[in-house]
Amino acid sequence: MRCEDIPAKSFDYLAGALGEAERREVESHLVSCSACRVEFDGLSQTWMKLGKLPAMAPDSAAMRARFKTLLVESSTPMPAMSLTDRPALKRLSDTVREFGDGDHQGIASETYQPGARFVRNTLGGWIRRHAGIRPALQACVALLLVLVGIQVGRQTVPPRSAEVHELSQEVGELRQMVILSLMQQQSAVERLKGVNWSNQLDRPSNDIVAALIDSLMNDPNVNVRMASIDALKRFAERENVKAATLQALSSQTSPLVQMALIDFMVETRDRGSIDEMRRLSSDHSVDQTVRSRAVWGIDQLEST
Amino acid sequence: MGETDEALMRAVRGGELSHLAALFDRYHLVLFGFLTRMTGSRHVAEDLVQEVFLRILKYRATFRDDARFETWIYRIARNARVDYVAKRREEEPLGEEISELLAGGPGPDDEIERERDVVLLQTALLRLREDRRELIVLARYQEMKHEAIADLLGVDTGTVKVRIHRAMKELRDTFLRLVERPPCDAKTSRRNPSII
Repeated sequence: MRCEDIPAKSFDYLAGALGEAERREVESHLVSCSACRVEFDGLSQTWMKLGKLPAMAPDSAAMRARFKTLLVESSTPMPAMSLTDRPALKRLSDTVREFGDGDHQGIASETYQPGARFVRNTLGGWIRRHAGIRPALQACVALLLVLVGIQVGRQTVPPRSAEVHELSQEVGELRQMVILSLMQQQSAVERLKGVNWSNQLDRPSNDIVAALIDSLMNDPNVNVRMASIDALKRFAERENVKAATLQALSSQTSPLVQMALIDFMVETRDRGSIDEMRRLSSDHSVDQTVRSRAVWGIDQLEST
Repeated sequence: MGETDEALMRAVRGGELSHLAALFDRYHLVLFGFLTRMTGSRHVAEDLVQEVFLRILKYRATFRDDARFETWIYRIARNARVDYVAKRREEEPLGEEISELLAGGPGPDDEIERERDVVLLQTALLRLREDRRELIVLARYQEMKHEAIADLLGVDTGTVKVRIHRAMKELRDTFLRLVERPPCDAKTSRRNPSII
């Protein structure tokens, strides 16, 4: 065995993975070559020391809980997903999906090549910064392009009203699907985006309203819950929205959300919330600012 | 449940998502170990494990019949980490928690030197270039065979062996330099941009 053979054998030797004959060859070389022996001793000491580095302990219960949530969310089909049964919409939705997943296509056959990875990251970063490659944004850009296309089509060719109407309806449905999808994302930023975009819908479906209510009641992020309150304002006349906001006023504990709900009640003239605001104003466990705001809210509602 | 990883993953691919729970049980701690060694942060590792399983769900259709699940999941974990690092670098540096492992008052004299060695070796490991650190982590902590590493990295086994040897030499050199001139504290590695 020669010195240049040692690097490829040393860790198999340490791991006990060499056959008897090879092991003897390595040992024999190490006995006869002091340079290799010194290097091997150093490396084997480091290898042993590595085994003594402490390992961090995971919060396994929390990880498992998060995973279960993920699994439940993934197992529950989104209500709007049934829209993709429609052929034209499915084609559009496939296109959007392809855009979104383009960065990850062929993941199963991908190999680690630092150079290629660097190029991909650099190029990807450039595109993200300059062209907005994020799926949600792409979906919006795609929708915008479709809408512009429809408008241009109207100007340049004789209208075929039935087809245009159908396409326009499908585009609207796709838009709702994108928003619902955003509102179910893990990232609070994406969910916030979904809630805010719902304001731009001309005729939001009941699914959108239900999703906004769900965000208000259950979203872990305060900003998303507050944005949901704003987005629900235009549906304030609906009974389910009235009931949900009133329930939220009694169940939400974040002062910011409580204040936003009081403002919501005042703005939408919901006198049915006065009793709950009274309770808040006299509950000493509630933040002082919220209590003052509740008193103000009661005054506003009773003065009209 | 004697089903192989691959059989479970094929079921997940076919829409039986509940089978992913068994794969989570088998792999989440393994991945957590890999990702904490690579990132130096428990919280980031926990988030990345979640991201890995999210990606598995998202890209389950790309799992091929002839693929080994272990290689596939590591590939996803590596990509998730690289994406995280790329994104993180655009935002802010990550504080690392290695010092958390070494927290505590000074022990008996004979333990101080050993603790110092642990700190310095951990620092040296985190200072290695990412691809070299990854090789050591896979071989030493994940106990992955050279053939499996070769499969994961898309190189031949001989290349993996030589690269591990080089990575270990570099680790030892860095460690010895740190022993001669130790950093001011265990958090020195936070300043190193190569560490996420």
